[in-house]
Amino acid sequence: MRILIVEDDPDLGRQLSEALGDAGYAVDKATDGEEGHFLGDTEPYDAVVLDLGLPVIDGISILQKWRADGKDFPVLILTARDQWSEKVAGFDAGADDYLTKPFHTEELLARLRALVRRAAGHTTDTIDIGGLTVDNRAGRAFVDGSPIKLTSHEFRLLSYMAMHVDKVISRTELVEHIYDQDFDRDSNTIEVFIGRLRRKIGVNRIETVRGLGYRLVDPEEDPGGEKT
Amino acid sequence: MEGVPEHPEDGSTEQGRSLVWRLVRSAAMWVVPALLFTAFSLIWFYQASTYKNFNDPLVNTIQALVANIEDDPLSETADARIILANQPIDARYQLALSGRYWMVGELQDDGILVPIISSLSLSDSTLKLATKDADNIRAKQGEVIRAFSIGPDNEPLSLAAQSVIFNDQNLVIVAAADRRPARQAVRQFSLIALGLLTVLAMGLTLAIYMQVRLGLAPLFELRDRVVDIREGRAKAVKGRYPKEIKPLADELNSLIGHNRDVVEYARTHVANLAHALKTPLAVLMNEADGKKSKLANIVTKQTGIMNKQVDHHLRRARAAARGQSIGEKTPVADTVNSLVRTLGRIYRDKDLDFELDIEERLMFRGEKRDLEEMVGNLLDNACKWTNAKINVVVETDTGETAKIRITIDDDGSGMAVDQYENVLKRGTRLDETTPGTGFGLSIVNDLAKAYNGSLTLDKSPLGGLRAVLVIPMVRG
Repeated sequence: MRILIVEDDPDLGRQLSEALGDAGYAVDKATDGEEGHFLGDTEPYDAVVLDLGLPVIDGISILQKWRADGKDFPVLILTARDQWSEKVAGFDAGADDYLTKPFHTEELLARLRALVRRAAGHTTDTIDIGGLTVDNRAGRAFVDGSPIKLTSHEFRLLSYMAMHVDKVISRTELVEHIYDQDFDRDSNTIEVFIGRLRRKIGVNRIETVRGLGYRLVDPEEDPGGEKT
Repeated sequence: MEGVPEHPEDGSTEQGRSLVWRLVRSAAMWVVPALLFTAFSLIWFYQASTYKNFNDPLVNTIQALVANIEDDPLSETADARIILANQPIDARYQLALSGRYWMVGELQDDGILVPIISSLSLSDSTLKLATKDADNIRAKQGEVIRAFSIGPDNEPLSLAAQSVIFNDQNLVIVAAADRRPARQAVRQFSLIALGLLTVLAMGLTLAIYMQVRLGLAPLFELRDRVVDIREGRAKAVKGRYPKEIKPLADELNSLIGHNRDVVEYARTHVANLAHALKTPLAVLMNEADGKKSKLANIVTKQTGIMNKQVDHHLRRARAAARGQSIGEKTPVADTVNSLVRTLGRIYRDKDLDFELDIEERLMFRGEKRDLEEMVGNLLDNACKWTNAKINVVVETDTGETAKIRITIDDDGSGMAVDQYENVLKRGTRLDETTPGTGFGLSIVNDLAKAYNGSLTLDKSPLGGLRAVLVIPMVRG
């Protein structure tokens, strides 16, 4: 899962990206409205944390532009402005959630998780696929009840695939959603990660669809079936 | 906040302070005396001319009599007798008791006139003279004297008399006429004159009243426009005004604008300060969050206090600016609908079932953001505690003043009756405030009071809490 943080306060930005990084997200940061808008416009984020009072372009305008351009990633507004008029304006501009400063990091993480899974069509933080359990809240995965050890990149990969279970995901899409923009992106490393993941959760849980990408499936249910 | 009167009543209906009344009264103060003076002058002149016309014939008669007195050639006595060569021709002298008399006689020492020759109209009577008139006649030999007397028919007479000496005989010639016709004519004229002038005075007063109303119309217009602003129907004094009061209208507009600026300035500056502090507070709280050191504990505790202080003063500043801005109005239906839409998104996991019954075109007399704060907090509270159903009714309040009533019901578990008061009071003092349940309701309560409205809590028929918010409405 890849998150964009648009926040002009450097300390808060650092804290947020640390907290989100610790929670297993790939994080990009923008410190002004223009950069924030550009990143959201060009990168496929799974969610955005957006401050409203930003230099250059204000948060509401950025959000309106994104929505007008058809960007549908969930946006959480994080602001000091706590009046209902501002909340209404935020939601009307296309926000999905609204959190006022000061806030507790756990609250923000819970809300982000909810946004991300809702966007992917899940109702709980825990996704169960035929014995493979991915707990996005705790950042852990289990096979038949026993925990498996995953690096943060591996978990990010698994989490993303679990969110989009049964769907074919291209390598580029995987790269875009599990690395932040500063990471040296080499799609070959994806193959390496997939290989490691298969060894840990079971080879037949990840199918390779030649020329298209990968698919996380329930091996018991419909091996190799064309489900969408 | 509470100093705003519901109906600024205009002074013009109160007579003592009315400008119209003052102007009409001051005009009447010269119109009425002027007309009275005119009336009495006219009556005086008419009377003088009437009596002149009335008295002149008497003098003529006396002159004619003087000219026509001759010795009676047939008289044989020592007392020389006189006759008249010609008698005055007026027919009224021939008719008995006609009101026109003449006589030639002798004035005795005791003041009684003894007639020698008299008009037929006098019959056998004589003309009486008051003693002082008799003395007067004696004293002024040869002069025509005027006097009043009573006639043979008891009529009031005006008479002219002259004393002449004819052949050593001391004669008094008198002509008299009934005074009543002249008096009648003067009285009639007086009545007509006074009547006409009264009508004229009333007409003039009415004309002055109309003129004053017309002249002051722009002022009344200005007053009505100011009322419009106070009641939220307009944002500035509009219309064209004569150059005498245009500066007043312009000044009013700039004052309203200035007021709006000051309110906005105060509000935004406190808000900016508060919001500028919130981000650093968030950083400090996050930094200390979950750490076990002494420093972290202090930071967590103090930032918590700071945050409450900031919230408290931000609310105070907002409340102070409230009700100060004039001429604001907000459509209620739009605001409620957009809040319901927003809350539906905030609580989207709860699968809320809103039932709305909103009267269209109701206008709240106040600012949009305040209406949003009140309704937003009430709806938020309902969303928080409800199981699923929330009913919202917006209607005209049935009270005597124009108000809007917003009723919000939820089907949650509600709260104990003895908690209502507590929940509404919370937040009035900082040390009692703790964020959490009911905090929003006290904000609503403060706001409603600032707008001369009210918030009451009750048990909902749905099972949960019922909140009834009553706020002022823009009429017309």
